[in-house]
Amino acid sequence: MLQIVGLTLQVALVATALNLPLALCVSWLIVKRRIPGRLLMDVLVSLPLAVPPVVVGYLLLLLLGNNGPVGAPLSRYLGVELVFTWIAAALAAAVVSFPLMARAVMIAMDSVDEQIEMAARSLGAGALRVALTITLPLAYRGILAGTLLGFVRAISEFGATIVVAGNIPGKTQTLPLAIFSRVQLGDDALVLRLIAVSVTLAVATLLAHNRLLERSKRG
Amino acid sequence: MSSPLLRFSIRKRFGDFTLDCEARFGDGVTAVFGPSGSGKSTLLNSIAGLARPDEGEIIFDGETLYSSRRGVNLPPERRRFGYVFQNSALFPHMSVADNIRYGYRLTPRADRRIDPARLIELLSLERLLERGVANLSGGERQRVALARALATSPRLLLLDEPLASLDAGLRGVIIGYLKRIRRELGIPMIYVSHSLSEVIALADDALTLLDGAAAGFGRAIDALVQPQVSAVADYATLENLLDARVVRGDDGADGEGLAELQVGAARLLAAGARRAPGERLTLSIRAGDIILSREMPAGISALNIVSARVTEIHALDARVMVYADIGARVVVEITRSSLRSLDLRPGAEVYLIIKANSVIPLDG
Repeated sequence: MLQIVGLTLQVALVATALNLPLALCVSWLIVKRRIPGRLLMDVLVSLPLAVPPVVVGYLLLLLLGNNGPVGAPLSRYLGVELVFTWIAAALAAAVVSFPLMARAVMIAMDSVDEQIEMAARSLGAGALRVALTITLPLAYRGILAGTLLGFVRAISEFGATIVVAGNIPGKTQTLPLAIFSRVQLGDDALVLRLIAVSVTLAVATLLAHNRLLERSKRG
Repeated sequence: MSSPLLRFSIRKRFGDFTLDCEARFGDGVTAVFGPSGSGKSTLLNSIAGLARPDEGEIIFDGETLYSSRRGVNLPPERRRFGYVFQNSALFPHMSVADNIRYGYRLTPRADRRIDPARLIELLSLERLLERGVANLSGGERQRVALARALATSPRLLLLDEPLASLDAGLRGVIIGYLKRIRRELGIPMIYVSHSLSEVIALADDALTLLDGAAAGFGRAIDALVQPQVSAVADYATLENLLDARVVRGDDGADGEGLAELQVGAARLLAAGARRAPGERLTLSIRAGDIILSREMPAGISALNIVSARVTEIHALDARVMVYADIGARVVVEITRSSLRSLDLRPGAEVYLIIKANSVIPLDG
């Protein structure tokens, strides 16, 4: 039980840590730099939200598999195999939770008054310095809230994970996968305990998320 | 007009509005005057580098800041222009002191000509430095915004309606500070405003913008009497915003409630200026509240009778603007019929009759 929760948190934390810098960069490029192609980029950001997680898992399997464009060189030159490891589970959780995080980060950045950023530019700060000294500090509560939203989604990830990482107890079996297995075995007592843990994690994270959002709105 | 420092020709289109304007600005204070929606802020943002024109060029002191033909567009942080926004745009997560230091730190040492300590004194910010910006009043916010922009030792200060969101008293205070900055720091300024009173009080030159096009350029005082301006100007509220020094404050002791103020070469009595002798303030006198007389009047209730010399007369439809010199320039609005019956000409000696109640100290 403890082992399952530990693995779940490990997978979700790594997924979130991978996503955060990417979400910040992508949001900044779309919302603040308004780069050409931002509409297409916006669609790509949200895509994993719109397709079935199984599809995400299958595409990851193609990508990371021993014959895939990422998996093949990794296994040939480094002897590393990602498929059916906890790292694959973390990647699956990352891809599926990315849209939630990125969309929240975009909203947080968009809520920073552009005139304040323009004031910083006129005072001699370049675009990147404005992002670091003005946009990020003013948007951090919303960014943190988005990070928690991504985290809570990563904790509950199932569909993509089971395809690309399997359901290997002690290795890739996270909370949702463990619940799935125990349901099939009919071990109701354990299922209810696992569900209790899962719901507790979700409620705690969502409470923190809502509190942050509320405070970010108050400024 | 002073020597050209900035010249530009800019075209920018949004929807069905087009800004298409060219001008040469000198190194004094140049107002950009026009009603809202005339393109003033777009012009200012283009000069600052915060908006990109569709076409044209902007040249400052020989340096090309923007040129569509040559593909040049210097980013705002490299133009070294200060910008003061209508709503201050202070950094809400920093103290007043950190707001002021932000741009100063980014200014190369060799370019630092203005000491922040001097600005803090000039704008009376000593007691606000450690405060957060959330609890500042509107006037305090604009003073901090001015100090923050000036701390970068800008080559040009751009002001976008800095008084528009302030009430009348605070406007007077900020006008006083702007005049002080202009006098003591000598930084060229572009001052965007829809108020003719502010334009003639602060600016040397004025560009009038109407519907995105230049409708006139010349001395600021002439903006008053441009035929195109008459359609958009609110002459009824046209006021003289004058520098004054308190000679004798209203201490309330004599029960008359009057203060004596020095304005140019004249002494004026005003109701209710509770200030100490020697203090400076801005006062407002409506152009329509001043009576012109060719002879020294007697037996009238108005307390201020000031001798003046007529310098210019501009007739505009039924309205006549008389500029009179009392050691400071005062605009008096009279009717065409009065102009005829008084037989006024430039150079004429006249008396200005002003009630003490019409001399309004703007002291916050």
